[in-house]
Amino acid sequence: MESSRSPRTGRRHSLLRAAAITLSLATAAALAGCASADTTTPSASGTSAFKPVTQKTGSQITVWADSTRLPSVQAYQKSHPDVKMKIVTYDGGADGSTYLQSKVQLFDRTGSGWPDVVFGNPTDVTWASEATKPGARPFAAPLDEKLVPQTTLDGFAKGSLTPCQFNGHTYCMRNDIAQVLLWYNKSLMDKWGYTVPTTWQEYEALGKKVAKEHPGYLVGSVGDTNSHESYFWSGQCPAFDLVKPDTLRTDLQDPKCTRMATLLDNLISAKAVATQGFFSQGFAKNSGSKVLMAYGPSWYGQYLFKAGFKTPAKQIAAAPPLAWEGESTTATGNVGGGVWMVSSHSANLKSSTDLVTWLTTSDANQATAPTYPAYTQAAKAWLANPANKDYFANDVSGPFEQAANEVWTGWSNTKFSDSTAWSSVVLPALTAGKSLTETLPAWQQEIAGEAKTQGYKVVDQ
Amino acid sequence: MTLLETERVAVSPVRHGTTPRRTGRGRAGYFFVAGYAVLLLAFGVFPTGYAFYLSLTNDRGQFTGVNQFVKVVQDYRFVPAFTHMLIYLVMWLVTLVVVVVLTAVVLRSRVRPGTSALFRFLYYIPGALAGVASVLVWLFMLDPDVSPVSRLLDAMGFKTFAAVLAPGNLPLILMLIAFWTGAGGWMVVMYGALNNIPDEVLEAARMDGAGPWRTAWHIQIPMIRQWIVYMTIMAFATGTQLFVEPQLLQTASLGRVSPTWSPNQLAYVYAFQQGDFNGAAAISVVLLAVGLLAAGLLVARSNLFKLDEK
Amino acid sequence: MTQTTPFLTAVRRRAHPSRSLPFLVVGLLLAFLLVFFVLPVIWLLLAPSKTAGEVVRDNPLSFGSFHQIGAAWRHLFAFQDGAMSRWLLNSAIYSGGSLVLTLLVSVPAGYALALTKFRGRKTLLVITLVTMIMPQATLVLPIFLELNRFHLIGTVWSLILPFSFYPFGVYLVYIYFGSSLPRDLLSAARIDGCTEWQLFSRIALPLAKPVIGLVAFFSFVGNWNNFFLPYLVLPNSEQFPVQVGLNQLLTSTPSFNPVAGAGLNITIPELALAIVIAILPVLVLFLFSQRTLVSGMLAGSSKE
Repeated sequence: MESSRSPRTGRRHSLLRAAAITLSLATAAALAGCASADTTTPSASGTSAFKPVTQKTGSQITVWADSTRLPSVQAYQKSHPDVKMKIVTYDGGADGSTYLQSKVQLFDRTGSGWPDVVFGNPTDVTWASEATKPGARPFAAPLDEKLVPQTTLDGFAKGSLTPCQFNGHTYCMRNDIAQVLLWYNKSLMDKWGYTVPTTWQEYEALGKKVAKEHPGYLVGSVGDTNSHESYFWSGQCPAFDLVKPDTLRTDLQDPKCTRMATLLDNLISAKAVATQGFFSQGFAKNSGSKVLMAYGPSWYGQYLFKAGFKTPAKQIAAAPPLAWEGESTTATGNVGGGVWMVSSHSANLKSSTDLVTWLTTSDANQATAPTYPAYTQAAKAWLANPANKDYFANDVSGPFEQAANEVWTGWSNTKFSDSTAWSSVVLPALTAGKSLTETLPAWQQEIAGEAKTQGYKVVDQ
Repeated sequence: MTLLETERVAVSPVRHGTTPRRTGRGRAGYFFVAGYAVLLLAFGVFPTGYAFYLSLTNDRGQFTGVNQFVKVVQDYRFVPAFTHMLIYLVMWLVTLVVVVVLTAVVLRSRVRPGTSALFRFLYYIPGALAGVASVLVWLFMLDPDVSPVSRLLDAMGFKTFAAVLAPGNLPLILMLIAFWTGAGGWMVVMYGALNNIPDEVLEAARMDGAGPWRTAWHIQIPMIRQWIVYMTIMAFATGTQLFVEPQLLQTASLGRVSPTWSPNQLAYVYAFQQGDFNGAAAISVVLLAVGLLAAGLLVARSNLFKLDEK
Repeated sequence: MTQTTPFLTAVRRRAHPSRSLPFLVVGLLLAFLLVFFVLPVIWLLLAPSKTAGEVVRDNPLSFGSFHQIGAAWRHLFAFQDGAMSRWLLNSAIYSGGSLVLTLLVSVPAGYALALTKFRGRKTLLVITLVTMIMPQATLVLPIFLELNRFHLIGTVWSLILPFSFYPFGVYLVYIYFGSSLPRDLLSAARIDGCTEWQLFSRIALPLAKPVIGLVAFFSFVGNWNNFFLPYLVLPNSEQFPVQVGLNQLLTSTPSFNPVAGAGLNITIPELALAIVIAILPVLVLFLFSQRTLVSGMLAGSSKE
């Protein structure tokens, strides 16, 4: 055994030599004159006209959709058997996933492989409307350039195409909007004799009352990855405010943020608002039947109450977004709402745009879509479809339409997902028992950090 | 004693090979290593060089010196990512070495051979669930709602999955996952190494009046020292590669885990979210340097991996 | 882990009389590890037999019904028109293809490094060792750019070729030949007029069976479980190996991805079943190869 300790310097030297080379390379580099390490700023492509690649009529188009939107694409294929299509499912950019962006980066490097049509989230449009590297063309085709008639684009709900618009062009068609409104369990409210709140102050008062009279019942949750969009977006908190295309204002000490944080902190400490997310694993089992109210997007009805909590039909109802007492304008948030983009590399732009137009605007697809359509005409058809409303205890059309028009536009579509900072900084702090108010600075710092890495100038005024 | 030493004996005669033969055998040698050498160049040497090249230039191909490194080190996510990895590595390596060696010694000297074989086999099974599968399994194990040990989690104050995934717990969770899949295999190897210690040596120790633990500490463990170092290096190399585990935890926790928790994830975000392959390469090079330095030190200090003697 | 200190102090006190205490501690240690290693596996095997609701409500270690396993099976394989079977097939192709290539290049290479003499042999060995201990994940990015330059992205070669580069396998073969092939045998055969190729194919190769098995095992298991490279280089979900597919299943599970996964039949039992199926080939290998593995790992110092 001891013999093995005899020095054998040859090999040792080889390895040390390798390490030494590493170090000396770095040192050598330090001494040399150096260019900037910043990446090239992509030039705004708005000025130059869009030039399609060589078109091949009738060539196959590849479609990427999430599993929820898959049936719609399949329906198109069924009704248009002459269009050659390849359908691929992926995560659809949910929860801040960057799958699509990663893959497009890959395709830009390989120079081929782009899908022709993709479903994504609004954040995806921010990078898709710009070149990923010098010389590459932006992934998304400007749809307003002789691809989709202006009349069609004008038919979308007010503001719903804002996330699609960059440099004066429209790069996507909005599939659905997820306007935030107040959901409540009508049967319970009636039974206990509560009136549905119309202002935040009433909401807070009722929450405290519920906590006292019916402990265990909840008026909301802040524990989901998108809860901040329900509350802080609705509260008009300037967290993601692009004052200029390259300048982000994030000021979480603004009274509009702090008053919402205070309100929620009060309700959290009264145990009327849960810090566990509605969509977290055990919630449906433990507290699913104890949700008296929920402040959230229009798809809560079908997804959360019907599919998630399995609440019986005719119990859940919707009310318009809450206002602040003494303020004339109501504003609400938006949670998700997917978009369809056409690739600028597509060799069959005609079929691609036709598909996207059909998916977003046609009654045939949207009347039975799982979410509330962004296209005004289709939204009417959607609301007229009894299957979308039968489950509810009241007519949700009014609140839905009202909320769709009240989505606050001061929450900008940034190049980074707004949920990363919320989920990775705020939610763990809440779980650890900290209050929202004391977490606001950390949240702001994380947003600012993310923004800077994406090349934004960050201001707080 | 161990396989890593024996080849010293085996290699030495080669040097005494007669000179005339040398050319013919040399050509044969080239023939035999040709395929491997091509792969080594293509997927070992070239990518390393390319990573260095990228880390020293920008996306316009201009030479940037250390600016890429300065840039990534100053990134607000850099220090946390490397700190996370470091904490994880320390926990993982210490636990691995202590528990694996201890268990191997116990299985070798305190348990009947039949029982020992059964235990080794059972400990070793989770090794089949490496990668994505192991993370998925542990997601369930750590979720108080479905976990078979939910009472234990409850008793420790973890009522929800979110509470389990508190940022401070992540290194421990990742360590559990890595230990669950990896430790059993190493126990088997260590047991084998212990088994190779001649009975006479142990017998002599017993004659000198050493108890089983004393024998373990003074005889057995020193004799498998090289295996322990070998295990540490391999575990270190896998430990620095953390990617899929935190990535999946991020997905499954609905974003409660930072997407740049580990250095590899940060490099991934640089490359594919920020489109900055050069910055990503700089992170990779830092990681590479750390890994090689640590491994090099261990190798140098332990006389492991004999190649030749001068 | 914290129990080691009492152990060692006990040793120093020459703890012969208090044998019962260490025995208890030994028992506890082994039992604790047993639960730790085996319980998750048992849970995993039982989960597919229950419905999603039962998994949450019932005793975690209860068995549901065989009927439910069938249902989970149907849901799983109906996912994206049988994507699961395609992923399994892909995994088999990638791991199998690179396995063949790995053996073809690393067995001769290890042999040559151990038993022949040529210029650059030592350099090759050093580089092999260095690449073996360096974090492979850091090279994935440059490898991607390289594959791209040779227009291999999207082809099976973009995985099979990088997978086939397996320095650890070469090192194992090198160690094995260096220690267990008597040099005199080769010298004798040379004198008898054997060519270098004949030496390798007639003498070395037949002796190398254990180490070939070992390299094959590690290579197959490693590649089957690899995630990072295929995750990066494969653009299309139809090309995914099963590990990346599992990730996609995870993101499709409503409990883990409330927004994208609604309306899918992929819940916890289906996910658990997918895990079981995905690891089955490796598990089978594990069950049958433990003995071979150990003897192979320790081949250098056989004590027969």
